[in-house]
Amino acid sequence: MRVQEQAMRVREQAMRRALIIVLGLGPMLVAGLLAAQNIDYQPDPSWQAPAPAAARPNPQAGSPELAAGGRKLFLRICARCHGAEGGGLKNAADLQLPVVQRQTDGALFWKITNGNQRRGMPSFSGVPEMQRWQIVLYLRTLAAEKEKQK
Amino acid sequence: MNLRNLPLAVVLLALTPAVFAQDTPYFVTYDHHLEEPGNLEISVSNNLGIPRTGQPVFAAPLLELEYGVKAWWTTEFYLEGQSRERDSTIFTGWRLENRFRPLAREHRINPVLYFEFENVNEGSRIMKELVGHASSFDEPNADLRRAHARELETKLILSSTAHDWNISENFIVEKNLTENEGYEFGYSLGVWRPLARIASAKDCRFCRENFIAGLELYGGLGSTEQFGFHDTAHYLAPVIRWNVTDDSAIVLSPAVGLTSGSNPLLLRFKYQYEVNGFGRKVASLFRSKQ
Repeated sequence: MRVQEQAMRVREQAMRRALIIVLGLGPMLVAGLLAAQNIDYQPDPSWQAPAPAAARPNPQAGSPELAAGGRKLFLRICARCHGAEGGGLKNAADLQLPVVQRQTDGALFWKITNGNQRRGMPSFSGVPEMQRWQIVLYLRTLAAEKEKQK
Repeated sequence: MNLRNLPLAVVLLALTPAVFAQDTPYFVTYDHHLEEPGNLEISVSNNLGIPRTGQPVFAAPLLELEYGVKAWWTTEFYLEGQSRERDSTIFTGWRLENRFRPLAREHRINPVLYFEFENVNEGSRIMKELVGHASSFDEPNADLRRAHARELETKLILSSTAHDWNISENFIVEKNLTENEGYEFGYSLGVWRPLARIASAKDCRFCRENFIAGLELYGGLGSTEQFGFHDTAHYLAPVIRWNVTDDSAIVLSPAVGLTSGSNPLLLRFKYQYEVNGFGRKVASLFRSKQ
C-alpha cells in the first residue's frame, strides 16, 4: 500500500514539474518568437523593382504544391537572415509584414535575383530561375500562416 | 589574438550553422557570383597531371580560403604545393586575390574586376589560370623551387545568366615583377547549368537538383613578345559539382589537352566547405565584455 502511495506521489511530482516547464516555456517561446521578428523593419525606399520586372507573373502560381520545395530552399538560403518563419533577424526584412506581402510576385523575384548591396543582401541570381519563383511561392504562404495564427 | 581564445575559435567554427553556397562548378573560370558577406569558404583541391609518355605524373594540391568582405568584394588566399613522381614534394607559394563587382544590379553582362598577387616558384602546377606559352617540366623540383616569381595578375570577368545557364568569359593579363618577360595573356570560357530546374520537397542528396554540370575551355595566348596560339597550352574540361550537404560540395573535372604543348590529361578534384557568419564570430572574440 505504502509502495503504491509513494508511486502515486512520484507521478504527481513529475506531472507538476512538467506543468511548470510547459507554463514557463510557453511564454518564453512566444517572447522568443516575437523577439525573432524584426517588427521595426523599415524598407529601403530606393530598392524598387522596375515596372516590367514587377509586372512579371509567377509561372508557378497555378502549382501551389511547389511551395514545399520553396520552403526547403528558403530554409537553406534565406532563413539565416530572415529567420525560419521569415520574421527577419538583425537588419533583414520581416517577410510577413504587409509592406513586403503587398509587393507583386515579380517584385519579390527581382529582389531575390538582384539583392541590395546597401543593406548587405547578396544577389541570388546563381539559384536557378524556377527555384527563385518557388521561393516567391513559399513567401506567400508566410502571410497565410500569419493570418491563421490570428 | 589571445591564445586562450584559440580553442573557442575552433569550437565556434565547428558549431557554425550550414549555409547554401551559390554554386559555381568551375575550376579556372570565374563568374560574377561572389562570396556572401561575412562567409568563409574553405576549399582543398588537387590537380593531377598525366603528362606525355616518359614524363613523370605530378600532383598539385591547393588550399583556398575565400571570404566575402562586402556584397561587391571577395578576397581569397591560396597556399599551394606540388609533388612529382620519382622526385620530391615542395611548397610552391601563395597567392592573394581580390574580386570586385562594380555594378550593383544584374545585367545582361556582369563585369567583375580581378586582381591577384602571386609569390610562387617555377614548380607551381595548380594551373588556376593558363597564360603565355606552354612551359616544359623537365627540371627537377630542387631547381624549380629556387626560381621565384612575384607576379601581378588581372582579369576581366564577364558573366551572364540566361535562364538557368551561366556563360562566363575571362580575359587574363599577367606581369612578372621579378623578371622582364613582358605581359602574358590567357583566356578562359565556361558554361554551366543545374541538372534540375525545380526543387523537390524532400530533403534528398542524390537527386538532380544537387548537381551542376558545365564545360570549360582555357589556355594561354602568348605574350607581348609573341602573341597568339603558337606554342601554347589549351584544355577542354567538362565539370560536375555535387552539393553533398547544404554547406559542402565536391567538384570534379577531367581536362583534355588540345595542343602538343598541353598535358594529355588533367584530373581535378575539389572539396568545399562554407562557414556562415565567420567574420561576425571572429569579431565577437575581440569585442569588449561590457
